Amino acid sequence: MLKTIREVLRTGNATVQYPFAPVKRPEYARGKPDHDSEKCLACSACAVACPPNSIQTVVDITAGKTTWSINYGRCIYCGRCQEVCPTGAIKLSPEFELAVMNKSDLEETCVYSLASCSECGEFFAPAKAVDYAARILSRSRGDDEHMRRAIELISVCMNCKQKHDAYRYWEKSKQAGELLC
Amino acid sequence: MKTNNDIASRIGESHVTAARERFGSAILKVHWGSKDQVVFDVAADKAPEVVEFLYYGRGGWLSVVVGNDERSLNASYAIYYVLSMEAEDPCFCTVRVTTPADSCEFYSVSSKVPAVIWGEREVQDMFGLRAIGITDNRNLVLPDDWPQGVYPLRKDAMDYRFRPAPTTDVENYEFLSETGDKETTVIPMGPLHITSDEPGHFRLFVDGEDIIDADYRMFYVHRGMEKCAESRMNYDTVPFLAERICGICGFAHSVAYVETIESAQNIEVPARAQYIRAIILETERLHSHLLNLGLVCHFSGFDTGFHHMFRVREKSMNLAEMLTGARKTYGLNLIGGVRRDILGEQKIVTLKYLEELRGDVKNLADALLSTPNFIDRAAGVGVLDRKTARDYSPVGPTVRGSGYARDSRWCHPYDAYKTLNRKPITQDSCDVKGRTLVRVAEFFDSLSIISELLENAPGGPILNDSWSIEPHRYAVANTEAPRGEDLHWSMIGNNQKCYRWRAKASTYSNWPALRYMLRGNTISDAAMIVGSIDPCYSCTERVAVIDVKKQKQQVLSRRQLENYCVDRRHSPLES
Repeated sequence: MLKTIREVLRTGNATVQYPFAPVKRPEYARGKPDHDSEKCLACSACAVACPPNSIQTVVDITAGKTTWSINYGRCIYCGRCQEVCPTGAIKLSPEFELAVMNKSDLEETCVYSLASCSECGEFFAPAKAVDYAARILSRSRGDDEHMRRAIELISVCMNCKQKHDAYRYWEKSKQAGELLC
Repeated sequence: MKTNNDIASRIGESHVTAARERFGSAILKVHWGSKDQVVFDVAADKAPEVVEFLYYGRGGWLSVVVGNDERSLNASYAIYYVLSMEAEDPCFCTVRVTTPADSCEFYSVSSKVPAVIWGEREVQDMFGLRAIGITDNRNLVLPDDWPQGVYPLRKDAMDYRFRPAPTTDVENYEFLSETGDKETTVIPMGPLHITSDEPGHFRLFVDGEDIIDADYRMFYVHRGMEKCAESRMNYDTVPFLAERICGICGFAHSVAYVETIESAQNIEVPARAQYIRAIILETERLHSHLLNLGLVCHFSGFDTGFHHMFRVREKSMNLAEMLTGARKTYGLNLIGGVRRDILGEQKIVTLKYLEELRGDVKNLADALLSTPNFIDRAAGVGVLDRKTARDYSPVGPTVRGSGYARDSRWCHPYDAYKTLNRKPITQDSCDVKGRTLVRVAEFFDSLSIISELLENAPGGPILNDSWSIEPHRYAVANTEAPRGEDLHWSMIGNNQKCYRWRAKASTYSNWPALRYMLRGNTISDAAMIVGSIDPCYSCTERVAVIDVKKQKQQVLSRRQLENYCVDRRHSPLES
């Protein structure tokens, strides 16, 4: 009994004043993911990685738009999005006070435009992602043929790229004299 | 004991030889799923004997029973009895029987080995297979009002979002009682229960204050996680779901899941990642044991101790948050390793926390164990005798409190536990006190394990991400969660998903034995006993008490019952 009383006196107050005073979370605590819409390429890597599908992207191919959205109500703060983001556009902050009065406030969306194919005119990929790829490729020395072709065809959609490849293969075969029927 | 000379060339070979000698051609095929996991394909009619032989004859304990719908692979259903061999030649032996898709029948093992009963009932519910000769044929998982013929885990049964309309308003679950010719009063508790914050329905059959028998039913909060993982998640996102099986020992589940994949697919995990996993697992044990010790204080009327245990527990939560970024659900595991390293400065802070915890808990444990009231309430209460323990394969401090040295960390070492040389902590008193003492000792053991691992952790990478998978290979993996062994079984399909994932939480193994622990005690000890297995289920506001003889129903508040447990005066039944 005396032991217990001594322990009580020794330890004093254990509670903190929260929510009337702020609490400090450790440096690497995982809280609300912050999305930087400037840096984001809308490449969807985060949406693929997100275990609870809190991050989703919806592509509207006719309007040429892709809508990136995050629902904080579903988020489990695992930080997979941060790990896979190529540009560091999404980062977990230590913020944890996410209660809202209205459920729809838990959702944030961001609309990005798609690039259209320079040959057929169809929308095919987020414009910023195409631009990002082009900038990375331009930094390479471009001395192998594979790289050169990638730079050439950067604004061409998948279907048209396939046509190009097929045509090129046909040309090559013709040169080698082994025409396919 | 075997000498070095006659240890067979492969782990588990001795069990294979013994079983072949005894059963001959009934053992159809034997293969090794991974290094220390033997799978016996057994003729269906011989399965009960083979399981019994491995269980009682070769020192096996039942870990889990898995059902699997393999109609798309080999036109049959399969049932796997996973046994943890802990006497000589430790390994996992899986007995696999198949049942053709048209008959859907298999021979029940339950009359030979009582421990399989929950597993077989679950297979009946989830796959619609019939166990011939099963000793208890009631539903386990499915509710009373579930439609006939909908078996959730059959591949063609239902979408994971399907919620069938209730088919009946009447409760048709029959509670068992072995009360002899004694006249008893039935006390139903729940689906809301006095102590824990999760639902479960208890029926105590009492004579005055004495519990003659007890029965209970769980699964009011069955979340269909296995179905969800199999149909909605990808196999690499399941660790995050597995972590949410339990709010206390979630990390143990996530480790167990990733290790099933790593073991089945031969994925190497970097040494440093293995150390980090073990360190976090032990951190989880710290806060879980403090939680239970706090509750024990509370139930024995020592509320000051309860508050102080929880005050100190906060330090272990802070430690976890500092190491992983979250107080719970650490999200640290990926297949092939972990996502976050422990940095030098974090190591220093961790060691400081460990020192503080050691001092604080020593004081509190001394105070608890020197409180005469506690010894009074715990000694000789809730006895789990050794025979019942052997028959039902309970796990964790529950079985260690009855003198069996069953600890998954040392029986089947995994991760960095392979590098440690320790023994399970046991007590022989078989009662609530024994289980509490095991937890106290394990707490201090965990502290020293963490510092030892931190000192010895090698440098190097923490994640191996270059591996490939081969569909339909399966394996089990074990972790020792704070409440006992968590065992997972998984098989990856060919569409980036789990074909089948079976997660067995530690308390699943402890529930069937609880009935025997409650018998012969008084109502005021019920909460204490249930609390001593540190149950993992859910919550209660009120308890209804029915006197069957007088047809009188009385509703008690949780507070009334708890108060009665704490001070044992003014029985709420008398008013």
